[in-house]
Amino acid sequence: MNPALSSMALPLLAGLLLLLAGPGLMRRWGGTLTLIVSVASGLAAWMALQSTLDSSRQEALLGGWEEGLAIRLELTALSALLLLFTALIHGLVALYAQFSRHGVSHAYWPLSCLLHGTLAALWLSGDLFNLYVTLELLGLVSVALLTQSGPRAWRPALNYLVLSLAASLCYLLGVAILYGQYGLLDIELLSGVTENDAVTRLALVLMTGGLMLKAAMWPLHGWLPAAHASAPTAVSALLSALVVKGPLFILWRLWSEVAPADLAIQAGPLFAAAGIAALIGGGYASLRSPYIKTLVAYSTVAQMGYAMMALGLLLFWQHPQMHVALWLFVIAHGLAKASLFMAAGEIQHTVGTTRISGLRGATQTAPIAMFAFAVAGGSLIGLPPSGGFLSKWVLLGPLLNDPWNWPWAAGVFLGTLVSAAYVFRAVIMAFDRVHIKRVNLNPDHTAQWLAMLPALLVWAMALSGNWLVQWLAGGGI
Amino acid sequence: MEIAEAVLDTALIGLLLTMAWATLHTQRMSAAIALFAGFGMVLALIWARLRAPDLALAEAAIGAGLTSALLLRAASITREETIRIPTSRLWLRWLFVTAVFAWLAVHVLALSTLDGGHSLPELVTGQTPNSGVRHPVTAVLLNFRAWDTLLELLVLLLALLGFRQIARHNRHPYDADHHPAPWPLLKAWSRSLAPLLVVTGGYLLWRGSDDPGGAFQAGAVLAAALVLLRLSGQLPVFRWSRWTVRLAALTGPALFLSVAIGSAVMGEGWLNYPDNASTLLIVLIESAATVSIAVTLAFLVAGEEEDIAE
Amino acid sequence: MTIVTAYLLAGLALFLIGLHGLLTLQSMLRRIMAVNLMGSGVFLVLTALAARLPETDPVLHALVVTGLVVSISATALALRLHGALERHREDG
Repeated sequence: MNPALSSMALPLLAGLLLLLAGPGLMRRWGGTLTLIVSVASGLAAWMALQSTLDSSRQEALLGGWEEGLAIRLELTALSALLLLFTALIHGLVALYAQFSRHGVSHAYWPLSCLLHGTLAALWLSGDLFNLYVTLELLGLVSVALLTQSGPRAWRPALNYLVLSLAASLCYLLGVAILYGQYGLLDIELLSGVTENDAVTRLALVLMTGGLMLKAAMWPLHGWLPAAHASAPTAVSALLSALVVKGPLFILWRLWSEVAPADLAIQAGPLFAAAGIAALIGGGYASLRSPYIKTLVAYSTVAQMGYAMMALGLLLFWQHPQMHVALWLFVIAHGLAKASLFMAAGEIQHTVGTTRISGLRGATQTAPIAMFAFAVAGGSLIGLPPSGGFLSKWVLLGPLLNDPWNWPWAAGVFLGTLVSAAYVFRAVIMAFDRVHIKRVNLNPDHTAQWLAMLPALLVWAMALSGNWLVQWLAGGGI
Repeated sequence: MEIAEAVLDTALIGLLLTMAWATLHTQRMSAAIALFAGFGMVLALIWARLRAPDLALAEAAIGAGLTSALLLRAASITREETIRIPTSRLWLRWLFVTAVFAWLAVHVLALSTLDGGHSLPELVTGQTPNSGVRHPVTAVLLNFRAWDTLLELLVLLLALLGFRQIARHNRHPYDADHHPAPWPLLKAWSRSLAPLLVVTGGYLLWRGSDDPGGAFQAGAVLAAALVLLRLSGQLPVFRWSRWTVRLAALTGPALFLSVAIGSAVMGEGWLNYPDNASTLLIVLIESAATVSIAVTLAFLVAGEEEDIAE
Repeated sequence: MTIVTAYLLAGLALFLIGLHGLLTLQSMLRRIMAVNLMGSGVFLVLTALAARLPETDPVLHALVVTGLVVSISATALALRLHGALERHREDG
């Protein structure tokens, strides 16, 4: 358990230290310390992952109190993998933020460290109320990060804050009702006693609504595009790649453990259907978007549709392969989306406009960033051999085996077509060298290469596909 | 239920819901805020009625006091706007809310009696003597569920950081005209009120391990004292660039996190206090948390003057 | 109708008054207040549930204290953001 705890405690400690050090030291050492911490936290997560290979599940009852009284922290292969994923994305984004010319202000560093620590706390927590506190922490840290880009982000940030508060309260009301019924907050203890009765259903509906709003799942995604598009580039990357995955994780735990099995089977198709709607609706909005970053932000809404679909089908069939597909997808999307946002930010700075028309001729004006955009986009579409392809392949396997499941497969294909449409729309525009935009004669090549890094990693994911699938299938719950 | 009690409860609930509705739907913002403060006081009475003195104290200080102060502040900046009742699909919204209430009410009523009882409260009562403090709520907050409290101190810290972000980007920081020169009476009063508030806060903290009260209630009261002294010009501007302010705001979460890490490295596990030191550690953490809560809340209420050229 | 039932229903009603306000009101300040009312509703439900026991449930009281602090933090930040936006709008 200790490696996992260090993976969580290091970024929290670094965040507090940076704040204590003050602006001057933060400006000078913030980036370096953040990079060191994310590497150290990643190593600790790697050790935690190794330790889960021997004994698949470890837990700690905090304070040494009895079950139920104490908050339970749990380490599974999945949570270790997510710890590693968080550290990896945080490190990649920090690398970009540190070396990009239009990086971030010094106040970014402690906030991104705290975000990292919060997510780690979320992956490890096994207590419904503790998860509520981590959710609130996640919301506030996101808002603080959002406001970094100044007044233009204030309105979306305020909207996001108020909605996310309301969503947390819905979740908390659900927790209250569950506690009222069963007298427990511990997920594992609850999973043994919940019954499929009206009160439990009510609590689950309230919690699901709150979590879906927080994860920007269709149809509660309205706040996301404005918020994610108005943030500074590094922040958009963190928000889209990491933050929306937190509520998704809680949703998965809620439905796969707390919810009674027969109820989960009933709810599965609803999630999957909402997922298909997200794929099509979000994809269409992305296709119509006039701004580069809004295109990328809407694509998050669309891509969360795959996650919802995998979750829904997992609940419906209880098929372990869907579990693998869900988390492979989360990792692939995180890497690809970080790369897309960073590439989009670099292109914007090079061509000097936020509008999508600025992409015209980007293959010439910002070739590296545009290549990163296309490579990451390829993973979103699911082109082989990317991480996106891997997750979709795992998802489609059981869908194609049985003709009765072909409608779901059709949904996946439709989603793929829409994602291909919005990615190719941008890429084709970039090849239009006739209406080329004014060129920035001094493009930031380092930053463009750094934007490419996560995209290359997502393609490399396919190479380590076997391990990933084994970890997720064998070690996880 | 006796008749007198029934009348009291009905009156309190009626008052609470009416004030809540009126807060949102009255025409003038100043009236809305006054109603909101009153709502907080009624709620504090209800907590007392529900035998929750910890919450009554916290609500009176945090809910009714600080939130209203913040609202007044925000309203003074907001342009007065008359409420436009949206007419589009109003019936749909009403239908939705009524249906949801009926649905919630039918199910939640099943929870109003507890048959069989739950084991958790008994566990708490049983283990409180081993927790290092005597008051069960404090035992839950600072020992059994200390991890929640640590994260919650970080939530408070993040509100402060978010607030700083905004102040940094504000081209026109809250300027002098929002802090008129202190009124002589305010100055005189603050001199005698502030020590009283500090004593009250200290008392709440000290009693917290045995009786209702604790870090949050004490922190909120101390914050009120700091704000009062600041507004009457007897404290310098709260500036984040001062290391003392930073240290005060960070001491709670930093000490708490250090205890957690220390107990994981040297002791038996994350936040597992050594048996003989748990009282001492809890008192230390509570005191540091009180300082941090007080400074953070005071900063959020009255810390707007930022030195932009930091 | 016991005291617990009465306050449980009051908590739910409060939650929904807040939710309704959040969905219908235009003014951001009122919407922030509305979310606060929702929060008070949830806390009232929690406290009513705590009062089912003869000795009251300390866990629930602790949860509400935590919830109150989280709620004031978020409210303070929201009000600041709102104030900054208003000033920004005045400047044009």
